[in-house]
Amino acid sequence: MLCLGVESTAHTFSCAVLEKKGKKGKILSDVRKIYRPPEGEGIHPREASRHHVENSAKVLSESLQKAKVSVRDLDIVAYAAGPGLGPCLRVGAVVSRSLSSYYQIPIYPINHAIGHIELGKLLTGAKNPLVLLVSGGHTMLLAFMMGKWRVFGETLDITLGQLLDQFGRSIGFASPCGKQIEDLANKSSIYVSLPYVVKGNDVSFSGLLSATKSILSEGVENACFSLQETAFAMISEASERALAFTNKKEFLIVGGVTANKRLSEMLQSVCRRQNCKFFVSPQNYSGDCGSQIAWTGLLESSVKDGANLDETFVRQAWRLDTVEIDY
Amino acid sequence: MKLIKKGAEGDLFLTEWNNQKAVLKARKEKNYRNSQLDHRIRKQRTRRESEIISDVKSFGICTPLVYFVDTKNCTILMQYIAGTLVYDLPTPKLILICKKIGQIVGTLHKNDVMHGDLTTSNFIVSHGQIFVIDFGLSITTKKPGDHAVDLRLFKEILNSAHAPLMKEAWENFLVGYKTAVGTLRFNKVINLVSVIEGRGRYATVV
Repeated sequence: MLCLGVESTAHTFSCAVLEKKGKKGKILSDVRKIYRPPEGEGIHPREASRHHVENSAKVLSESLQKAKVSVRDLDIVAYAAGPGLGPCLRVGAVVSRSLSSYYQIPIYPINHAIGHIELGKLLTGAKNPLVLLVSGGHTMLLAFMMGKWRVFGETLDITLGQLLDQFGRSIGFASPCGKQIEDLANKSSIYVSLPYVVKGNDVSFSGLLSATKSILSEGVENACFSLQETAFAMISEASERALAFTNKKEFLIVGGVTANKRLSEMLQSVCRRQNCKFFVSPQNYSGDCGSQIAWTGLLESSVKDGANLDETFVRQAWRLDTVEIDY
Repeated sequence: MKLIKKGAEGDLFLTEWNNQKAVLKARKEKNYRNSQLDHRIRKQRTRRESEIISDVKSFGICTPLVYFVDTKNCTILMQYIAGTLVYDLPTPKLILICKKIGQIVGTLHKNDVMHGDLTTSNFIVSHGQIFVIDFGLSITTKKPGDHAVDLRLFKEILNSAHAPLMKEAWENFLVGYKTAVGTLRFNKVINLVSVIEGRGRYATVV
């Protein structure tokens, strides 16, 4: 079974072709084009969607070429229907709808966040993990129970990705700026006290963002270091609380912020303390990509028929704990 | 000393104090946390927990007796409470007991205490009484907004760990909470719970 996955929720436009045989999945191709905003700025939805439109044809044909398949070989097409930026989402949806209606291929609207989790499970082999999803759009602790991914903890305001990006932008970087902050943080080991807000299994980052901006006078490297130490310790503690509460024996981290070494180092130490297996999705596939959409589409297709074209909307605010999962 | 639970906050050991069974809660160093930050957090929480756990007794909340506090090593020695965690109760009992939990939480709030970690594993049923434990994240606060955070967390836990009985349990909790805080305050806090939920990512704004 072959599936084309189309991802366009935020800055990434990506097409991927995956093959599913039984329970096994294989990534045949995964092509991405990433929109880069000017320095000091975030994603402008209109500009990002223009970028996606301009690159969509090329990315699509390249993904098919690399996979050595033609459109007619595809069994299904899946697209990220949300959550994300409306103008960006619509580009992926239009591409997918066009393919689906012209070539008569069944189409599947996919929740982008579920995609992160499912691809993470496929690539790491985790069976029944507590999942930490950390990206620009999400900061959530999740476990699968009775047909749904249920939230055991989350951010009460902005996400970890937003925290890093918004701080990064204030010092002149362009989103996503996690990498640049990490590099600066590595140059310092001076901790400046910052607010640490853990509420049960939940965290809140908005106060930390303002406070970090106000300690910039202590040196930008020290600020980056202190920001990372505080924010990551908060998320690690929330994870540890959720692990202790759920008694899960596996812990999986997925999403763009996974790429940060210090974060995964801390979480690994949490897992050692809680005697639990640690899984992290491979860096190449931790950020937004078509593979996550294609794989989830393949899973969906094992229990469901494709959607009618008039149901293939995009949903900017589609919470993953509302998605029912039957596979 | 026997390790009974490796919690997220601290390790719990079973020990003795004057021939009584006792629990030693040790907030050990967390090597993943920056040591300065780690020290600040552990000390602050040890102190807060030991104070609030005793203070709340004055308005009728059952908590373990504190025997000894060591703020240097961040340990608290307290009474051992034999019983069942609410988390482990069979469904019908759990639903029922949520009313009492609501009452307890209401009483805490009426007396300006926010628990900060309202999960079903922080209530112990012992000889017909409900004991509240784990006050590490507690603060003294009059703000209805803080109290709403407590309620939201409990709701989140019911909605995840106890999903099939969420509706009934939550309704019961609210009934109990209302009897303790009164209608006026109840309405205020409940409104704030929706405000907090609306602030969340991709929340359905009603």
